Amino acid sequence: MSVSGSKPSRNGRGKPAPGAAFYDLDGTLADLNLVHAALFILTNLGEWHRRISSIATLAASAPRLYLAERKDRRLLNQVLFECLKGVSVDRLVELGQEYCDRVLIKHLYPSAIELVEANRKIGLEPILVTGSPDFIVAPLCRQLEIRDFAANRLIVSHARATGRLAQPVMAADEKAQWCVSFATQHNLDLRRCWGYADSYYDLPFLIALGHPVAVNPDRKLRAAATSRQWPILRFDKSTDDESDDRSGAAILELSGRSADGAS
Amino acid sequence: MARPEAKLKELKPADLKHQVGARRDLVVTVNRRSENRLIAYGDEYLYEKLPIGTRVIYAPPPLDELPDPDQAIRYALLRPENADPLFAQLNPNMRVTIAIDDISLPLPQMRRPDIRERILNQVVQTLADYGVDDVHLIVATALHRRMTEAEIRRMVGEKVFKQFWPDRLYNFDGENKSELVMLGKTDHNEDVWLSRRTAESDLVIYVNINLVPMDGGHKSVAVGLAPYQSLRHHHNAATLRDSHSYMDPTRSGMHRSTNRMGRIVNEHLRVFTVESAVNTRMFGPTLDFLHKNEDRFTDWDRTRLKGFRWALGNMTNDFRRQVMYNYSSPYGMTGVWAGETEAVHQKALARVFQQYAVPVKGQSDILILGVPFICPYNVNSIMNPVLVQCTGLGYLFNMYRGKPLVREGGTVILCHPLRDEFHPEHHPSYIEFFHRCLAETTEATELEKQFEEEFARNPTYIHMYRYGHAYHGVHPFYMWYWGEPARQHVGRVIAAGCEEPEVAARLGWDAADTLDQAIAMATSELGRSATITYLHLPPIVIADVE
Repeated sequence: MSVSGSKPSRNGRGKPAPGAAFYDLDGTLADLNLVHAALFILTNLGEWHRRISSIATLAASAPRLYLAERKDRRLLNQVLFECLKGVSVDRLVELGQEYCDRVLIKHLYPSAIELVEANRKIGLEPILVTGSPDFIVAPLCRQLEIRDFAANRLIVSHARATGRLAQPVMAADEKAQWCVSFATQHNLDLRRCWGYADSYYDLPFLIALGHPVAVNPDRKLRAAATSRQWPILRFDKSTDDESDDRSGAAILELSGRSADGAS
Repeated sequence: MARPEAKLKELKPADLKHQVGARRDLVVTVNRRSENRLIAYGDEYLYEKLPIGTRVIYAPPPLDELPDPDQAIRYALLRPENADPLFAQLNPNMRVTIAIDDISLPLPQMRRPDIRERILNQVVQTLADYGVDDVHLIVATALHRRMTEAEIRRMVGEKVFKQFWPDRLYNFDGENKSELVMLGKTDHNEDVWLSRRTAESDLVIYVNINLVPMDGGHKSVAVGLAPYQSLRHHHNAATLRDSHSYMDPTRSGMHRSTNRMGRIVNEHLRVFTVESAVNTRMFGPTLDFLHKNEDRFTDWDRTRLKGFRWALGNMTNDFRRQVMYNYSSPYGMTGVWAGETEAVHQKALARVFQQYAVPVKGQSDILILGVPFICPYNVNSIMNPVLVQCTGLGYLFNMYRGKPLVREGGTVILCHPLRDEFHPEHHPSYIEFFHRCLAETTEATELEKQFEEEFARNPTYIHMYRYGHAYHGVHPFYMWYWGEPARQHVGRVIAAGCEEPEVAARLGWDAADTLDQAIAMATSELGRSATITYLHLPPIVIADVE
């Protein structure tokens, strides 16, 4: 299973939980995408020759990545993470933490984190549903005190990544299916849940939820949101108050969390 | 330092040729030989034959505009009502906040220079002349959408925009908790909250345009710069039901509440109000036939009308909307007053009624209203069904003093295509309100009880209000309450020319394909002898019903 998260809550059956807010990560809560993550990991792998060969491999697969992105988001994930083949799991976990601390936190939209916290206050528990790998998403969730998340997971053999993603690959329809099964397990009424995503590939994910919101939507999602009368939200670092000089710690402060994840 | 003119001749108001009661042809009765009548129908116009005996009420012709608006403004600032001249209230170390009416006024937008630009240029210059540096300009949006940079630039003019945008010229934010302050409570236990910057200013100058008598007065500061915590005291079903009508501030529960709040504001702050009034010159020479009694159309008017309707009919909906919003009205300023809020407002109100009021004898059984393409809440946006309701039952129904134009239990026919379309960035909460809340109940008190708080506190809607250009989450509720006096008064509402009957049903209305059908539906219930009134607007008209 390519999914991580907590065990089902102990809510009694027939008594729906207050609700939840499902968030995509890349492009929605943060102004980064999977390629940034892959590049960071590859450029920090260790020996120079390894870095160079990995980046060369990634560069060589650029046309494939482009075609994959146009065709199917699932395919993009698979092609992108092939270049992590052979990297030890320990190293990936370490790099994931480092990427989260040094890059990802700083690239979160401050107003997005404000929204996550405001939603939490009215009883909408945050849940991340993302195509990013679990070794990046897990530390982020710890920092933001997000209990549940769905992320992609690399298949590991002999403590090294095989370069293949475990099924189901978290993209498009699979995100929606995960939300449905999560809601069933946790006795959530999806009609009362909110969903936030930025890409047309997330359309099935958004449709599955009662309150879909298009965030910084791409052209196709914007058209879909307009025709379906969904709210369109904009997170913009340049227009967020004082966002330019907000450090990662300051962003975490917004959510009432400290950098080590303690509240 | 420049000094104000030591001597300035007193400006007399424009020569007012058109006095109330002396106007002819403003109330006409349709007879066998009468022409068809133009009826606003969203972003198009119907041209329909009305039943014989239908009473048609027209807007009075435009009052003459002030010959020199800039000089009139200068005079108003130097000779204010019940207050010292503006320059005499200034000292270099003071903190001044200028609040400005937002894009909801006037409608449609007026040709440049906007009255606000003219007033601001002089106010800002006076402040500079007297060495006042700590000046902020706040667009008094209350819970309306934030105006865009381009919209603000157009409104305040290039000079002020370049000097103050964006650090010292910005939209009010009713959800920025750190920038709000509670001033006190009224004797009716109403919380009076205000923008902190305004509350902490030594002088507050409010620059207003009175398009209708509902505007201005204490409503300017106490509403325009107040958050939900204050607005909920008067924007609720009970208070609005007690308003007969919104256009008659002396009989409006909402105005009584805002006056109480405004007095608290004025106890704490020094407020210098500048109010202005405009005439009914909504359309320029190309479209001025829209002002006219159709019986007096010339051949040239008919030709223009034909061309106008043909052009509108052959545009796509989006393009037609764009064309309409890009139109700017050649409104003329009929008066400007400055000084103490209530004294200024009395003068402005008198001029506004002088422009709009038409004496009308008695009520009728059926009232026909054409809902135009624009209302205060859809400038550069979409007129969604909730706003059609607000415009029809909230604004147009309330264009009266004394008694409503339609008798109690009568029928209102609203002409509008009534499409299920919304602007997802401007009106996100309207969509949920329409599809979820109205599906459960159309009863205003129930909506208030069940849903208002949830929408008002919804983080996504708050975010879109603060950082995007969305109306506040609670706004659709206010729009619904706005129609409450009409819903309490009339027996039936029929949407004529309705393209989507399920939309009318959601609003609790009946639907008719055509105006003829709507009239037939109404008369089948009220009898063939039912009297009909058609309120011919735009331009704006207020019926003084005896």
